[in-house]
Amino acid sequence: MTPTPNGRTPDPSGTPALAVQGLSKRFGSGDDAVTAVDDVSFAIERGSVVGLLGPNGAGKTTLIKSILGTVIPDEGTVRVLGRDATDGRRAAYANVDAMLEGARNDYWRLTVRENLRYFATIGGIAPDSVADRHDRLLDRLDLADRADTPVRELSRGMKQKVSLASVLAGGAELVFLDEPTLGLDVEGSRTLRREIRRLAEEEDLTVVVSSHDMRVIEDVCDRVIVMSEGSIVADDAVERLLGTVDEYRVRVASDDLTPATVDDLRGRFDVADADSGADPPSLEVVTDGDAVYDLFDALRAAGVTLDRVETVEPTLEDVFVRLTGDRGATEPTPSAAGREPGGATNRPAAAVGDEGGAQ
Amino acid sequence: MTAANTGADDGAAAGDDPRPATYLDLARAVLYREFLIFVRYPANAIGGIVISLVFFGLLFFGGRLLAGQALADSLSGIVVGYFLWTLAVGAYSSVSNDIASEVQWGTLERHVTTPFGFAPVALLKGVAKVIRTFLTSAVVLAVMLLATGTTLQIAPVTVVVVAGLAIASVLGLGFAAGGVTVLYKRVGNWLNLLQFGFVVLVSAPVLDQPWLRALPLAHGSAMLQRAMVDGVRLWEFPVADLALLVAVAAGYLAGGYVVFHYGTRRARRLGVLGDY
Repeated sequence: MTPTPNGRTPDPSGTPALAVQGLSKRFGSGDDAVTAVDDVSFAIERGSVVGLLGPNGAGKTTLIKSILGTVIPDEGTVRVLGRDATDGRRAAYANVDAMLEGARNDYWRLTVRENLRYFATIGGIAPDSVADRHDRLLDRLDLADRADTPVRELSRGMKQKVSLASVLAGGAELVFLDEPTLGLDVEGSRTLRREIRRLAEEEDLTVVVSSHDMRVIEDVCDRVIVMSEGSIVADDAVERLLGTVDEYRVRVASDDLTPATVDDLRGRFDVADADSGADPPSLEVVTDGDAVYDLFDALRAAGVTLDRVETVEPTLEDVFVRLTGDRGATEPTPSAAGREPGGATNRPAAAVGDEGGAQ
Repeated sequence: MTAANTGADDGAAAGDDPRPATYLDLARAVLYREFLIFVRYPANAIGGIVISLVFFGLLFFGGRLLAGQALADSLSGIVVGYFLWTLAVGAYSSVSNDIASEVQWGTLERHVTTPFGFAPVALLKGVAKVIRTFLTSAVVLAVMLLATGTTLQIAPVTVVVVAGLAIASVLGLGFAAGGVTVLYKRVGNWLNLLQFGFVVLVSAPVLDQPWLRALPLAHGSAMLQRAMVDGVRLWEFPVADLALLVAVAAGYLAGGYVVFHYGTRRARRLGVLGDY
């Protein structure tokens, strides 16, 4: 009657941490039916960190919950560390835990350490046997000096870290982190990203991260799965995905970039962005190798003396927007900006607000 | 607990050698959590005791004004009935409210996917609630006895067993209400009104209508009256009475768990488990 042990064991057979095959889930019936996940298949190697991206409504959360068993899929199989999650749920779930967005995931009236001990037990591990691990975990997440403080008395960012710590407390080998850096400040986010990488590299933890914040994904993930309208539209290493965008841009800045000049250039080049309010005004042009010469010729002919010239590398966000079309184009940007002060778009921290906290 | 020392052999630190949690570990964790919240946040428990006593005060002093001697004659019966009612309300509302809270906190999902399976966790949580409710209701009982000058036969084993089995059926109703709440969030609040129906069950005329004994609380209430008013000990009850008490408790507990199980299963199918 004892649950399956989940101490780390080497896996010579190379069984993936997670194998999803033909997973589908529809909600509703008849004309109102919505296909949230549509015939999704993928496998994730042990010890890797995989990003799960997609616009709101792409099916990410339904997919994660279907893997966790809190949503029952209509079709398909899920194998966690080689065990069928539908047939042998208990055994399979000894090694999985998740931190879902917008949920506390722990008890605010208990202290940080009490939560770790409680959820280690619920996860199938005797708490005394991992007490030292808990101390190290708290230490790495900068929570050691608050270990005996009730969670309700902590700041929002610290609560987020406690939520992560409680997910890791039971020694799960596969964890899902939905918006793990939500509400964290720059330092907190950096600590958390470093810890995720360390857990994967040193302790062979397999992590699936879902986030709107492309910096987090680029920073910690080996591989990215992009979903749109319930299906996987891309599944590749981060570097290779970045390589799929063969679109290069040149950004020039000059006091001579008058609105009339910019209008003239718009008619002849693929102008991606123009900021006449900047000091000096700037212009971003999509260009292949040859068009660069034409652009500079045109700028010289217009009497523009360049103050600055930069090439703009494609970002994961560009890849994401291209893969998901308009749906992705409008959604990740404000979230990414708002959720991490000093993030890629350098929006002010005041945009963070309290949405998504729910408690 | 068997694997506790395996790490020592290969030099691993005692706190760095994961071993599987046993059901004993699980029981300890669930009960300890309940204990911590009880002692750390006593306001909830004290508030419940005060409200129970205020209600009883109104019942007792108001009843004495209206009924006079008639009330005094049946006072011990009223005290026992009220004691059982506070137990029933405590067990029912703590279980159904607890499930609703856990849905809201996102902790229910973690209990549903535990390798232990949800049933033992839910049952242990129910036991924890019943123990807690016994403690608060004992205080209410003591104050009622002092305030009214009534004397009752309080044989601890008999009272705990009979009252415990009586409210086990209510615990089942709490699980059923929790299962419905997981599916239909707003219905949960209305189900709290059920606890006022417990008054009817506690005072059900089981002597005149024997079939009422099959309802939750009713048979247990009649037995508790005999135990506490007439001094009948547990082993002095007819075996048939005890068997019926156990059967009703087990039946409603199992039925409630089945409703909860199917409620959460349907919520998982509809994708609404954890939504709030």
